[in-house]
Amino acid sequence: MRKILAVAALLLSAAAFSQSKLPAVDKSPMDMSYYPTGYPLLKIQDKATEPLVARVIYSRPQKNGRVVFGELLEYGKIWRLGANEATELELYQNVKIGGSKVKKGRYSLYCIPNEKNWTIIVNKDTDTWGAFKYDEKKNVVKCEVNVEQNPEVTESFTMVFEKGNGCINLIIAWDAVKVTLPIYQ
Amino acid sequence: MIRITALAFLFLFLSACGDSGNNNNNTVVLPAKKQALSLKKETPNPFSIVDVSPMDMSYCPADYPHIKHVVGELPQIRIIYSRPQKQGRTVFGNIVQYDTIWRLGANEGTEIEFFKPVTIQEQKIKPGRYSVYCIPHKDSWEVILNTEVNIWGLNINTAKDTGRFSIPITSTTALSEYFTAIFESTATGANLVFAWDSVVTRLPIAF
Repeated sequence: MRKILAVAALLLSAAAFSQSKLPAVDKSPMDMSYYPTGYPLLKIQDKATEPLVARVIYSRPQKNGRVVFGELLEYGKIWRLGANEATELELYQNVKIGGSKVKKGRYSLYCIPNEKNWTIIVNKDTDTWGAFKYDEKKNVVKCEVNVEQNPEVTESFTMVFEKGNGCINLIIAWDAVKVTLPIYQ
Repeated sequence: MIRITALAFLFLFLSACGDSGNNNNNTVVLPAKKQALSLKKETPNPFSIVDVSPMDMSYCPADYPHIKHVVGELPQIRIIYSRPQKQGRTVFGNIVQYDTIWRLGANEGTEIEFFKPVTIQEQKIKPGRYSVYCIPHKDSWEVILNTEVNIWGLNINTAKDTGRFSIPITSTTALSEYFTAIFESTATGANLVFAWDSVVTRLPIAF
């Protein structure tokens, strides 16, 4: 079985590579954010004053002149909080999100956007594509956060961590809105 | 047998997708100007600017996130790296100097995660996450695994090196505009393929 697969894979990959198919750059490029903010730079300069808490890896679609929420993204429908691969949240410590305990580890993040609030979902199924195979049985958190209007339009979808009031905030912004997800250590 | 047939079809299907313009599998000769422009039209972002050298990730098996619900197993390897552009410059021996440490990408240190034990050039590597960097020479590269992760790709702490592998360079006539790292399956595991400018290298990984 393994041998057959390996040979099949080899033949196919050799065929693929001989045609010089290398992946193009994604239209919605990937990015990652840490808490503490800028942790990799702080670490190599020995300037990190807090331990590593969280990292998010996500893709950054662009507004491109479109109305994002309610049009490009329909209200009430599950969204991968980005583009391409499902957005990944890695926790380096046990935390609390939306009243639920979340153990350290890797998770996928999803969202159901609505006009006044978003449902944020933390799910155990990782390394997956989009929300196409979203399985709510694997949810570990499902909580609501308020939508705030942002005075400045955010062209590229953005996720960053900030220090909050007794917590860490994951700020999620795109187009004219932003939401804040508090994470308690 | 049914499973083998299904997987064979899956591989064929994915391979066919790659040929017919699946949006992640196009072209090695990237039109430099068009690509560069599409990145530069970014408006300032109040939170976090979009990187000039965007991040990307590759899995082994290739396209794992698309097929995981069919293959039903963990991925074997994942690499997360940033993709600087050639932009008309000679890359190796010029903007990336020979015989000096290079982060195999840009920005954060390139990260590789093995989800199961692997063997590289007779050395056993434990599952886990590593930084991976390189010392490019004219005819070969040394690819180095390091146990310090979540780092920026400079000031690498070489005391934490855990494996050093010399691999030959293959030159091609097809130029890779963007630095690329992908996995190709082999009979014994996979090659981690690096391509940029006219240089291609392959690090064989057995598992």
